Amino acid sequence: MLLKTVFVRLLTTAITLFGVAIVVFVLVRVAPGNPIAMMLPPGATEKDIAALNAVYGFDKSLAEQFIIWLGGVLHGDFGTSITLRQPVAELVLGRLPATLELSSIALLLAVALGGCVAVIGARKRGTGTEVGLDLTSGAVLSVPDFLWGLIFVLVFGVLWPVLSISGRVDPRIDIDFTTNFYIFEGLLRGRLDVVGSTLSHMLMPAMSLALPLAAMIAQLLKQNLKEALTQDYTTLARVRGFSETAVILREALRNAALPTLALVGVQFTFLIGGTVIVERLFAFEGLGNMAIDAVINRDLPLIQGIVLLFAALFTVINLLVDLSYTFLNPRLRHG
Amino acid sequence: MTMTTAHAHTLDIINLNIALPRGQRLLRNVSLQLEPGEVRALVGESGAGKSMIGKAVLGILPHRIKRTEGEILLEGAHLNAMTPATRRSTVAKMSALIPQDPLTALNPVRKIGPQITDPLTRIHGWSHQRALARARELLDRVHIRAPDRVMHSYPHELSGGMRQRILIAAAFAPSPRLIVADEPTTALDVTVQKQILRLIRELQRETGTAVLFVTHDMGVVAKISQKVTVLFAGRVIEDAATRTVFENPAHPYTQALIAATPTPNVSAEPFQPVPAALITELHRETLAADALYAQRGRR
Ligand SMILES: Nc1ncnc2c1ncn2[C@@H]1O[C@H](COP(=O)(O)OP(=O)(O)OP(=O)(O)O)[C@@H](O)[C@H]1O
Ligand SMILES: [Mg+2]
Repeated sequence: MLLKTVFVRLLTTAITLFGVAIVVFVLVRVAPGNPIAMMLPPGATEKDIAALNAVYGFDKSLAEQFIIWLGGVLHGDFGTSITLRQPVAELVLGRLPATLELSSIALLLAVALGGCVAVIGARKRGTGTEVGLDLTSGAVLSVPDFLWGLIFVLVFGVLWPVLSISGRVDPRIDIDFTTNFYIFEGLLRGRLDVVGSTLSHMLMPAMSLALPLAAMIAQLLKQNLKEALTQDYTTLARVRGFSETAVILREALRNAALPTLALVGVQFTFLIGGTVIVERLFAFEGLGNMAIDAVINRDLPLIQGIVLLFAALFTVINLLVDLSYTFLNPRLRHG
Repeated sequence: MTMTTAHAHTLDIINLNIALPRGQRLLRNVSLQLEPGEVRALVGESGAGKSMIGKAVLGILPHRIKRTEGEILLEGAHLNAMTPATRRSTVAKMSALIPQDPLTALNPVRKIGPQITDPLTRIHGWSHQRALARARELLDRVHIRAPDRVMHSYPHELSGGMRQRILIAAAFAPSPRLIVADEPTTALDVTVQKQILRLIRELQRETGTAVLFVTHDMGVVAKISQKVTVLFAGRVIEDAATRTVFENPAHPYTQALIAATPTPNVSAEPFQPVPAALITELHRETLAADALYAQRGRR
């Protein structure tokens, strides 16, 4: 049952990614701006441009180019970045850990923050505290992630500079890790200096990404908690002597988490999308920051590689959300 | 304050008034007692306030509905004099609820076992082994064939009748002095209703637990109870021994309720609804009582 679900999902994932590959391939080529012309000095002739075009294979037809590219992709070769002159796969996978760590930490922050606010709101339902929390989360929600980023830069970078506002880690720290997962590998190796520096650099970008999602979780989860708290099984728990807080945490939370989880899955992909601008804002060396450079320089192979990786990431996340949904809901697990 | 005397009633409700925020009364000067081991039926039409009495005792009145006057005593202890936390634990230790709808009264995402044993370990302070043994014992007593398998199941894997038997087992597990059963059979198939009723009666006799049994079925009243309280619009219309009520009902409304009950062996008698004139008279009495109550409040 579960295996079949996973298999079907992997198949649809492959088809989706193929579709994304075609769309991106065509789009970046019909979009204005010639990457080759940008690489040559101002006085270059048409002949010069055509020659360099041929070097990168851009003189062939669109279909031919796609087949050549796809053939490479199937062998793990995503082409070479025009501007950085390195294999796309290497570049992209080298940056992926930074973005994964950033978005995971942001997700954790959002769930923790939003979850706490939702539980408190449900506990204090019908009081001024609930209204206050509702108003606050409404306000937080109406400010997008990159604006939070600007606010943080302004407050903690300029007015009250207590946190580092650029980079991923203190450049003075010597890091000889095998992967680029600084937090994960740092924890495994016991290099707490690396973990600490990475986390302190990450705090503001992660908060910028987390706040809108936290507010959304706070609102939806609280609504679902309140709904669960009118159900008979919560009334029975109260009769059995459990305090209101215990009823919320032990009886209502898991029921309320199910519908909330579906939203978190969708919103998490938006959060990852948000890393593009937020990473730029904090000069954080992740995939999103690289994507902006790639677009500015019309680095077609690199853009393709990044977009494809993002698309793969999104489908994997959706799969994980569906699986955890099945896992949390006993009615789906057996039925 | 929580002192109990040997001759205290299990439940003593004295002149209880429950009202909506604007003062609209849902229970009007209700008094009733339950002796140890006694089953008292609470009857009346829909909306008469039967469930409200149970909720007031168990401390689960709906939001905004408040006690405005009167006392509730459990084994001689004044519930209204306690702090909310003390009251909650006192009520939990002395009483239990068998709910109306077994399909919604079990948490759908939790296994059956912990739903029975959690209150025993966390509220009554039993060891895990003791709670588990007690759960098995009671599941067995309510004729659940494989207690251990059932305790590892989720509610949706079990039938409605089975879930109600589980809820009955859970209610009796901590040996409460009082059980409130709020129409525990109405949500079930007719065939299952009889089994459930018999089970509650048997367990009640074996344990000597007092039961406040909410129903609108006079047939059920005759089968299960020793005492009856008849309610109309939140007012006690009649309070007597069940036998007396059936043989010689004092109030015309009670007579009408009995007459309106289809009895299989007296099938010759046609079904008789409660006469309209009687209902009108009862409403007039209710309004008069409210006027008097308001006047007394103003003084
Ligand atoms: N949450 C609530 N808010 C306002 N009024 C309520 C609420 N719950 C019940 N009532 C009112 O209180 C009165 C008594 O309700 P109660 O549930 O005790 O009736 P009942 O005798 O149990 O009826 P039934 O046989 O339908 O269960 C009814 O008039 C009902 O409309
Ligand atoms: Mg009722």
